[in-house]
Amino acid sequence: MKDLVESSGVKVALRDVDVVTTGTFGAMCSSGAVINLGHADPPIKIEKAWINDVPVSHPGAAVDLFIGASQMSETDPFEYGGGHAITDLIGGKEVELRATAPGTDCYPRTRLEVTLTKDDLNQFYLINFRNCYQRYACATNGRDEIIYTYMGKLLPHYRNANYSGSGELNPLANDPDYETIGLGTRIFLNGGVGYVIGEGTQHNPTTGFGNIMVKGDAKAMDPEFIRGASFTRYGTTMYNGIGIPIPVLNEGIVQKLAVRDEDIYTDVVDYGVPRRGRPTLRKINYKELKSGRIDVNGQSVKAGSLSSIRKAQQVSEALKHWIEGGRFFLTAPIERLPSDTVFKPMKQPKGAAFVENIVHEAVTCTEDEDIEAVAARLINRNANHVVVVDGDGRLAGIITSWDLTKSIANGGDGLGDYIVRAVHTASINEPLEAVSKTLAEHNISALPVIDGERRVLGIVTSEDISKLVGGRVLG
Amino acid sequence: MEVEYLVRVMFRFDKETVDKPITSQVILEQGVPINILSAHMNQRGGEILAEIDSRSAEKVIKAFREKGVTVDVRRLIEKDDELCVDCGGCVSICPMDALTLDEGRAVTLHEDQCNGVTCGLCVDACPQRALRLIG
Repeated sequence: MKDLVESSGVKVALRDVDVVTTGTFGAMCSSGAVINLGHADPPIKIEKAWINDVPVSHPGAAVDLFIGASQMSETDPFEYGGGHAITDLIGGKEVELRATAPGTDCYPRTRLEVTLTKDDLNQFYLINFRNCYQRYACATNGRDEIIYTYMGKLLPHYRNANYSGSGELNPLANDPDYETIGLGTRIFLNGGVGYVIGEGTQHNPTTGFGNIMVKGDAKAMDPEFIRGASFTRYGTTMYNGIGIPIPVLNEGIVQKLAVRDEDIYTDVVDYGVPRRGRPTLRKINYKELKSGRIDVNGQSVKAGSLSSIRKAQQVSEALKHWIEGGRFFLTAPIERLPSDTVFKPMKQPKGAAFVENIVHEAVTCTEDEDIEAVAARLINRNANHVVVVDGDGRLAGIITSWDLTKSIANGGDGLGDYIVRAVHTASINEPLEAVSKTLAEHNISALPVIDGERRVLGIVTSEDISKLVGGRVLG
Repeated sequence: MEVEYLVRVMFRFDKETVDKPITSQVILEQGVPINILSAHMNQRGGEILAEIDSRSAEKVIKAFREKGVTVDVRRLIEKDDELCVDCGGCVSICPMDALTLDEGRAVTLHEDQCNGVTCGLCVDACPQRALRLIG
């Protein structure tokens, strides 16, 4: 279609093409399945349940369950989760269901253990409440350590970037005004038939980050197009394959269907900043992303995709074959997706605290100073850590009072041998939870706080955090 | 920027070479540490699985070969094509360009590029757990 519009123009494309199929295949965490088990004898009103050790919620009556894709197994967390259990069921595998209940007059049973396949279930419906984002941010990491995120593994100092989404093949990117995709649109969902049931949660149309809520009969889905997935140190999720047909109704729709990767822009975002408002480094289009190399702060950086463009093409092709074979019929939406929804941040909860709330001035020294002078400064300031800086105030290392004691006991004549030069650091806007994690992981008691140019802004210590938890600051 | 990795190599000794102190000689001559992971030896020969800093791997391997030892640089990453969905989550991580997206946007492992490198950075970056270290 895109080539046809370019070569022959909008009018010819409108005359010659009836339907354009689109597709995407990627991680969609806000996915899950509703399962109805039928009743056991004696019957049970489930209070807690697990499928393959993945905790399952029980939002409805006695034997209705909801299994979320990102729920993690209690015995194999981060590796096996709801997405894997759903995929196993779809693939015809047996799963272990365990459940407990308080026992009532009408539902006396208190425990249940049973092996099930999808054929044993009444309803097994995928209900995904946020899928198929129109575009997604490209993630990179400015920190000095590897971070593991839902956007994959990000190397330090912006050494790689990961993006998601199929760009010009994405369903909503081809219908950006939601003229044909809306409530009731019949879609390809993971190899089966599904429906759009409305806007997805966090639908954000005004910035071009729209998404949809979908449902479909999981029993008819194909494991080729749905997969559980594990993001190291983030958790589990599920890859969904979604294809949406777009009827070519008028010239306006043709023009929108001609959209190219270079027209679809997203943000390169620093996921190294663990805050809601992660800084945007630049705008970028999907053409540059798909080229595999992008420019970040003047450096050429490898860009990888987390969603599969190859699979997205297969989804779109499969849907095309269904339509051509008369096995799939398009529907008109009975209600359009809203185009003015605002995606609000959460009302600020109590208790959030950041480095900026507790950072204080660091005791500093330079490498060439006398040990005695530095020791005296520590005593005067009642501190345990001296941050070593260079002539420009940039971080050069750290010395603890213990290191200083050792150097004096050994009769050392210089600080040099006792300076720890590979220093873990914090940034001013980092949440204290992240600081505590760094302190605990490396078994250390303080972090110099530095800016982007490694200039020392202050220090945070485990003592500061203890005081905060003790209520002195939060009150 | 030169990045350092550990290259995993298998030294195979035959009847002639097994009773000579070749490993110690190479370490002393080259001044390079060699981390021995496992060793199986008898009078007829044996194998040592070891790791060497990537920056000195080439000269160490040459030194062993000159002393009559067979050196295998082990293939280390295996990709399960059934599990792989061709997302490309491994591509940006690989410092050797051993994992790339081909013309049809399928993830391709170029074993020649990856050979012997035990960096393993890609393994836990794969959401489908389709990559694993072997050897």
